Amino acid sequence: MRRVLVANRGEIALRIVRAAKSLGLETVVAASAADRDSLAAREADRVVTLGPAPARQSYLDANLVVHAAIATGCDALHPGYGFLSERASLARLCEENGVTFVGPSSSSIEAVGDKLAARRLAKAAGVAMTPGSSKLANAAEAVAFASEIGFPVVTKASAGGGGRGMVVAHDSRSLADGFERASVEAKEAFGDGTLYIERYVERARHVEVQVLGLGDGRVLHFGERDCSMQRRYQKMIEEAPASALPEATRRRLYRAAVDLLGSINYRNAGTVEFLYDVARDDFYFMEVNARIQVEHPVSEMIAGVDLVRLQLEVAAGAPPRWEQRDLVISGHAIEARILAEDPRRGFLPSPGRITRWRAPCGEGVRLDTAMEEGALVPPYYDSMIAKLIVHAPDRPQAVARLRDSLKTFEVDGVSTNIALLREVTAHPDFLANQLDTRWLESVFLPHYGQPEG
Amino acid sequence: MSDVTPRDIEALLETFESSNWGEMKLKIDGLELFLSKSPGGRPSGGVGEFAAAAAAPIPAPAHAGVPKHDAAPDHWIAVRAPNLGTFYRSPKPGAPPYVEPGQTVEPMTELCVIEVMKLFTSVFAGVSGIVRRVMVEDSELVEFNQPLFLVEPAA
Repeated sequence: MRRVLVANRGEIALRIVRAAKSLGLETVVAASAADRDSLAAREADRVVTLGPAPARQSYLDANLVVHAAIATGCDALHPGYGFLSERASLARLCEENGVTFVGPSSSSIEAVGDKLAARRLAKAAGVAMTPGSSKLANAAEAVAFASEIGFPVVTKASAGGGGRGMVVAHDSRSLADGFERASVEAKEAFGDGTLYIERYVERARHVEVQVLGLGDGRVLHFGERDCSMQRRYQKMIEEAPASALPEATRRRLYRAAVDLLGSINYRNAGTVEFLYDVARDDFYFMEVNARIQVEHPVSEMIAGVDLVRLQLEVAAGAPPRWEQRDLVISGHAIEARILAEDPRRGFLPSPGRITRWRAPCGEGVRLDTAMEEGALVPPYYDSMIAKLIVHAPDRPQAVARLRDSLKTFEVDGVSTNIALLREVTAHPDFLANQLDTRWLESVFLPHYGQPEG
Repeated sequence: MSDVTPRDIEALLETFESSNWGEMKLKIDGLELFLSKSPGGRPSGGVGEFAAAAAAPIPAPAHAGVPKHDAAPDHWIAVRAPNLGTFYRSPKPGAPPYVEPGQTVEPMTELCVIEVMKLFTSVFAGVSGIVRRVMVEDSELVEFNQPLFLVEPAA
């Protein structure tokens, strides 16, 4: 491997350019017209303009990206995250044209990309999933099944989602009552009143395991992350490790992730996501992300590795020589996503020119960004402008470091969520790590911006 | 450095374009100029290094350093690449180019094709006028918005 095409933008493009350079690789950034002067483009050996700013005509066109790789003499392509990163078609196009895809094989992406296929894989590998029934004929059948798996349960419409036909029941009586109601609602919404039930997780945490597959069945893991701080399924704060997990559960979680991806000889970086049921101390498989993730730095901080470098090394056929037992997890890391959005105006994206940029730095503080004073946040893409990552010996010290860093972080010219993050990280529930996936939206945000008392 | 100004080169180009010559080779002091009307025409030496540079494994813009492209009249209109791809002046190898300099074109006249992974997209003039310059070598990588042709619009 000699020259890598970076098929992405923003901080991850810069991150890939720097990781590639550290390995002595040449870099070509394939940018849209809006990103021609970006930091990644300037640091790369070469930049080529794929197309106009809209992603569909640039970053989301697999043919354009692979053509750019071939025409500039690149022998590898790194897709980053988002855009085309989990399209099996991009990986296949690379495979067919002799370009090394820095990621899993196209068949692996297909195997884990389809939800049903992924569930079958998980089942075959013995990985736990949310207990659920098949189609139920009536309320009596539902009650019988619920008594087996335990309450609470939730009814779901067989024909569709979106909350229609969903009733949460805590006992037999409420299930028997709710079943008919849910069935009528489902029939009205989808023309089919068929229901099934699933175990309902009242307080769930989003936990995930970072892995690196070597392609021969061996899968290394770098510990787990807790990404429960979410708004509309978008993660806002991520931590590693997930300190709420009992050690035995943590061990089982690693085993599940490694078994699942080992079963398909998974190659390169990936993440296995689970729902952690706090009350039952149990976890259920959700999905596999077959790419590097936004929040990978927190795992890097506690494991002392460079995952993007490892991605390139595995792709180049030079996987790490160390083994799982050589890897030591130390300390606690937290990442806060800095977004150019206005939380006081419904998180409205706020593109524009950055007129002031005073970023925190210091011991245990890392900032992954492609922004600087004078840079433009274009209106065409994701609103994330930086990732603030802190690392300290334990969670309380990491939280203190994060709060100090947020205090000194100043950005003008665009609205950001920094003020919101300052308040979130000062909240007693955050300090006590009493969080779940609904906390931000149901506990914090309803009171955000309202006067005290 | 020679005393040749961009205006001189422009005058030479005009002369060449309006002539019935197939090729023109010029050497003055440090300057070498090769002009050809045949597709894929290559000089026998000297300037040919540019073509070699385009194929070499050094990541540099392939169109850099070609001296014949400067100083066009302001009112000439650049026809630009709609996306990144490989530029072809003719429908297939060996076929005559879609257009030659000096040729009159209409908005819907096809000027070239841009190839992306074996998919070909036609580029049209978009304006009535006379093709004055071809800015890119055949089968070269072009980027989005890169000028491909200069067309002098009809008055």
